[in-house]
Amino acid sequence: MPFISQIQRQTDYSSFPSSCPIVIDNGASYFRIGWAGETDPRVMFRNIVQRPRHKTTGETVTIVGDHDPALMKYFDCTRSGPRSAFDSNVVYQFEIMEYILDFGFDRLGADRSQVDHPVLITECPSNPIQSRSKMAELLFESYGVPSVAFGVDAAFSYKYNQQLGFCDNDGLAICSGFTTSHVIPFVDGEPVYEACCRTNVGGYHVTDYLKQLVSLKYPHHMSRLTWEKVEDLKMEHCYIASDYASEVRLFQKGDKEAEEKTRCWQLPWTPSPAEEPPSEEIARKAALKEKQSQRLREMAEAKRSSRINELENELKGLEFLLQQLNHVEENDIPSFLAESGYVSKQGIESSLVKVTQSLRKAKREEVESEEKADPSTAEKYTLINIPDNMLTPEQLKEKRKQLFLKTTSEGRQRAKQKRFEEELEREKLNKQDEEKRLENPELYLEELRTKHRELSEKVEQRKRLKTNGGHTNGNNVSGGVGRGERLNAAQKERMRLLTTAAFDRGKGEDTFGIKDEDWQLYKLMSKDNDDDEEGPDEDEAELARISSRLREIDPAFVSKSEPGSSASEIPRFRPLTKEDFQVILGVERFRCPEILFNPNLIGVDQAGLDEMTGVSMRRLPSKGEGLEERMTKSILLIGGSCHFPGMAERLEAGIRMIRPCGTPIQVIQASDPIFDAWRGASAYAAAMHFPQQTFSRMDYFEKGEDWLRRYQLKYTL
Amino acid sequence: MRSILKGQVRSRHWKHLKQIIQVENYQNYRTYEPNYVNIESPPSMHPCKRICDLTGFEAPYFDPRTSLRYANADVFKLIRSIPSEYVQRYLALRNAAVVLK
Repeated sequence: MPFISQIQRQTDYSSFPSSCPIVIDNGASYFRIGWAGETDPRVMFRNIVQRPRHKTTGETVTIVGDHDPALMKYFDCTRSGPRSAFDSNVVYQFEIMEYILDFGFDRLGADRSQVDHPVLITECPSNPIQSRSKMAELLFESYGVPSVAFGVDAAFSYKYNQQLGFCDNDGLAICSGFTTSHVIPFVDGEPVYEACCRTNVGGYHVTDYLKQLVSLKYPHHMSRLTWEKVEDLKMEHCYIASDYASEVRLFQKGDKEAEEKTRCWQLPWTPSPAEEPPSEEIARKAALKEKQSQRLREMAEAKRSSRINELENELKGLEFLLQQLNHVEENDIPSFLAESGYVSKQGIESSLVKVTQSLRKAKREEVESEEKADPSTAEKYTLINIPDNMLTPEQLKEKRKQLFLKTTSEGRQRAKQKRFEEELEREKLNKQDEEKRLENPELYLEELRTKHRELSEKVEQRKRLKTNGGHTNGNNVSGGVGRGERLNAAQKERMRLLTTAAFDRGKGEDTFGIKDEDWQLYKLMSKDNDDDEEGPDEDEAELARISSRLREIDPAFVSKSEPGSSASEIPRFRPLTKEDFQVILGVERFRCPEILFNPNLIGVDQAGLDEMTGVSMRRLPSKGEGLEERMTKSILLIGGSCHFPGMAERLEAGIRMIRPCGTPIQVIQASDPIFDAWRGASAYAAAMHFPQQTFSRMDYFEKGEDWLRRYQLKYTL
Repeated sequence: MRSILKGQVRSRHWKHLKQIIQVENYQNYRTYEPNYVNIESPPSMHPCKRICDLTGFEAPYFDPRTSLRYANADVFKLIRSIPSEYVQRYLALRNAAVVLK
């Protein structure tokens, strides 16, 4: 039963006489208010308050109860989360309480600022006196209530069910609420608070546990898992296993029964638009690439041909010029040349040579520079072989130049040779590879895949270490505890050096740096860091090579392009399928309500529900004849958290374990665990002797705090 | 309770439950009178049920490095591969996380 709220303003407030009490069930989850004597509360809503700011006007508005999501868009909710007046089951924030009471009374129809009816309000068992007095003060001062009565909601529920016949005068009430669970024994119709027992685990903790478990398991769906949604899930799907260990074993074995018990929550998901099969896409991409390269080639061609044309034109012009020069007279040469812009005949000839060369290059004729080099080297290096003492200084300089040229050209030749050899090697390797592949394609593929995986892991790890300082859980070689895990080897070395430097110095004064050798420390450190940087590059190159190879051969391979993807994204290794958007609740279905019986699972070091009954019965001050037997015969389950299927059986089994053999045990769920408290209170308030149980403002002021501490309702009227 | 100046943040005035209980001075009163503190349940006497932190199965094993409980080797592999932020969150479920104040 998800959040229900009934907040319509009631119109018949004035029709009720001033003696008719108003009954309020002030619970940590819901606030119910209504008139005494009726069967249902008039107004009920979630006991929370939000104070967002209006987006346009900027004023702070108070919203009580569950909000209407449609209205929320007008408000800026960034700084206002839902706040409750409760801390565990005790009211401590009376300002919020005031907002809630305002709202409650208003919806009940109260139009004046004073509420002239006596009020019966519920509280938790053994409410601290401060909370009680502040509540009384609030009611008396702010609302002008004439008289107030406080009661325990579990007791009202029990009395109501007793009237209905579900339980007897002596019995146990097991009330599992929102933040706490109580076991209250009843003797002769009155609750025995000395024997009451309270564990601080309730429906809120169950929901929170479920929320944490599911968000840890499905981190990418975290935005969907709001607290309200998880509460819905809990109410729909959670149950209590009759025996946790055997139930869990079912799931561990993976039986068909376990399959049936697993529920799957499908999140809304639209499949991505129909993807073409990968091969077609690859073909399409290749075609595109081809087209692009074709276009580029064409452009290059066009440029080249235009450049060739230009050069040819220039060449023709120059030749023409030369020819003209030959025809022109000697004395007219300077003037003629001045027109064309060249200084002398040599100038024209040299530019002619240059143009022809570039033309040849443009036409891609082989520039036989290498071969030309050899005969030219032979000429140029003539001076080298002549010993030094026979040369003039100028010739020595020449010789040095020639030596230098020779060594460089030899070096170039050697480099070329090496490259050639390496090419040959690689060709050989590739051929071997191909042969291996052809003879055993499967095995080859497997090897390649494993190599790829290993390499990618290594690269990932190193990257993670370098950038994040190690979120891994000690998988790396350095291991260690705590701080050590975060530093890789180089950083640890650095720290070590620094600390030794810091400690080695004399007492008191820090003499680091006076000697020059001290600064060599930093040289050591950076060297370490550098060493680390180069290693991964080879691995990465290797990885790239392998992945490209795999992409060629293996049709099903998709490379992990983002090794550092954060956990909050869905790992896009393959196209998103329907399964990615499913949240599976298997073991969590009964693991979460289990904390009611076993608070150790959540770290709360207290007894569970079944043990609490034993504790409570042991604490009974007076154990009459057969009292305990009578009590176990009428055990009532109340409270919102007792709606879990399987709770009654589990409780019965648990109580049977701690009671003597053969005692009659009967566990009954109340007629309506949630509303019975209000109904009981309403019936109580409508009784004739109710006014004697209330206290007025005068009483409160006269008798003081001590009296208020001892104030308890008498439940049998 | 109500502050006279408007706009003042009022929520800081309220005492939390722990402080309320402290102020109550329950030790000054008789021990047999029920009050908020002495009706609380004692620690559980039943043997502690150890379940795997990740899957919820029964967990006889314990990982000393992360101090998580696990049920079998597959779960162990998972434990060692999740980042330490998740480890702390799993431990926080059990109220066993390392809290640095």
